[in-house]
Amino acid sequence: MADYREAPLATRPQTLDPNEYFNLSPEYRRAEEARAGIRANLKRQYQTQLNNPHRNELIEDPALTRWVYARTNPYPHFRATTKTSLLGALFGVAPLFILYCVFKTDRDRKEEQIKNGTLERKFTLSS
Amino acid sequence: MLKVLFPTIMLLPLTWLCPQKKLWSLTLLYSLMISFLSLLWLKMPLQTNWTHLNLYMATDHLSTPLLVLTCWLLPLMIIASQNHMSQEPINRQRTFILLLTSLQIFLILAFSATEMIMFYVMFEATLIPTLFIITRWGNQTERLNAGTYFLFYTLAGSLPLLVALLLLQNSVGTLSLLTLQFTNPLPLSSYADKIWWTGCLLAFLVKMPLYGTHLWLPKAHVEAPIAGSMILAAVLLKLGGYGMMRIMLMLEPLTKELSYPFIILALWGVIMTSSICLRQTDLKSLIAYSSVSHMGLVAAAILIQTPWSFTGALILMIAHGLTSSALFCLANTNYERTHSRTMVLARGLQMVLPIMTTWWFLASLANLALPPLPNLMGEIMIVTSLFNWSPWTLLLTGLGMLITAGYSLYMFLMTQRGPIPNHIISLNPTHTREHLLITLHLIPLLLLILKPELIWGWTA
Repeated sequence: MADYREAPLATRPQTLDPNEYFNLSPEYRRAEEARAGIRANLKRQYQTQLNNPHRNELIEDPALTRWVYARTNPYPHFRATTKTSLLGALFGVAPLFILYCVFKTDRDRKEEQIKNGTLERKFTLSS
Repeated sequence: MLKVLFPTIMLLPLTWLCPQKKLWSLTLLYSLMISFLSLLWLKMPLQTNWTHLNLYMATDHLSTPLLVLTCWLLPLMIIASQNHMSQEPINRQRTFILLLTSLQIFLILAFSATEMIMFYVMFEATLIPTLFIITRWGNQTERLNAGTYFLFYTLAGSLPLLVALLLLQNSVGTLSLLTLQFTNPLPLSSYADKIWWTGCLLAFLVKMPLYGTHLWLPKAHVEAPIAGSMILAAVLLKLGGYGMMRIMLMLEPLTKELSYPFIILALWGVIMTSSICLRQTDLKSLIAYSSVSHMGLVAAAILIQTPWSFTGALILMIAHGLTSSALFCLANTNYERTHSRTMVLARGLQMVLPIMTTWWFLASLANLALPPLPNLMGEIMIVTSLFNWSPWTLLLTGLGMLITAGYSLYMFLMTQRGPIPNHIISLNPTHTREHLLITLHLIPLLLLILKPELIWGWTA
């Protein structure tokens, strides 16, 4: 096979970056091993809970808990940026005024027609 | 009237004094007997509007379906709460049933009140047992926040109503619904009269809820225990609709002009809240927002005041009461097994609990207004009458019905279909009690297909 050449427009994937394997300082290696140890412990804790025959509740996932909490409590972290203000105005304020104008003109037009006697009631059930 | 009210009042000493072993079965049978007695109210002669008349209470075509729904709901609440209350000390169990029964009493008095002040007092009185139920027996710490929102939103909305009713009493001389229908139209022309108009309606719009003032509802519904959610979704929201329908006859002719903002808020709220449903992670929150969406349709229908729209609103209120309560019960069966309301945690239940899937399916179909269920009857009448009011509303209501179908199916597929998560190894099989609960919700809904005249209101 030909030698690996970098694709001209794509970034090199992390596993093919030579800096991942060479020129690593001992501190980096120790930190990486510590992190691998933590990961292994978490996996062992999950597997223990998963295979426990006496368990009858769900395994609690703290990441899921945090995610659910974040999804359900956005208001304390709301910031009025241009994007959020624009979205709020577009979906919360403008439609109310637009709908008011639409309904009012339509109903006033119908009222005019009723007053002039020109309204054609197409779907009347009692004729 | 008293033949239902006195037994309900007597249920209070029964819960306090009966032996512990028989508490739940006795209260259940007693409340079931009361609900069967309440079915007698369904004989409503069309000519005389008010039947079962007594000095302070009466039933008519508008209040009877809501009264029967209220009485039907108490045994259902007792069945639903039995499991999660079994861990509590006996006195707290008694207090819980006491609160449910007192809520029932206030609701019966509210729906059958002929005097508006009695209706108002009972309207406010229903807040107190509900507040206790939410804040004491809810499951998360957010229940305190939920109770606060619930209480203060509703109170802030209804204090202007008190002032407005007293003003009405001063100008007309009576607040009895029997005589208010025959008074001359009020000369409502000044700016203060417009504020009076808003004061009359604000309480009910907050209760319904209208889209702008709906923030209390998802919190209260999610944090309440199952009985609290059931009574909130099924009946307490309809108190707002019922109050609006009653007070509307005094509010002419200002309603022609002043109702536009509220109709627009209600209709836009249908779309916004049903879209929010598609993004919910919490199952009960989804059902709560769907309640807001359906009630938005009801609010818009009541505000345009045509006979068809009132009929549609009433039908949708009853059908939505049963459907929403059934959905909360189904969500509770999930919660009791997994102790989590997150939808992604309990999926693929069709493989594990197939009959429960049937109930989920029926309830989701009812929620998305499948013909021939009464949900569709109500929605079609509302959509048609809104179309007559202005053809442009069809865009909003049609889109709303489409998104409703979307999120109802989303809820069904999310909870029932797909693979079961790996970490679920044991789920209790469905108890007969849970099957009974859901069937007792769905059977009236299916029977109403056969005789919808019961919930049509005055439309002959």
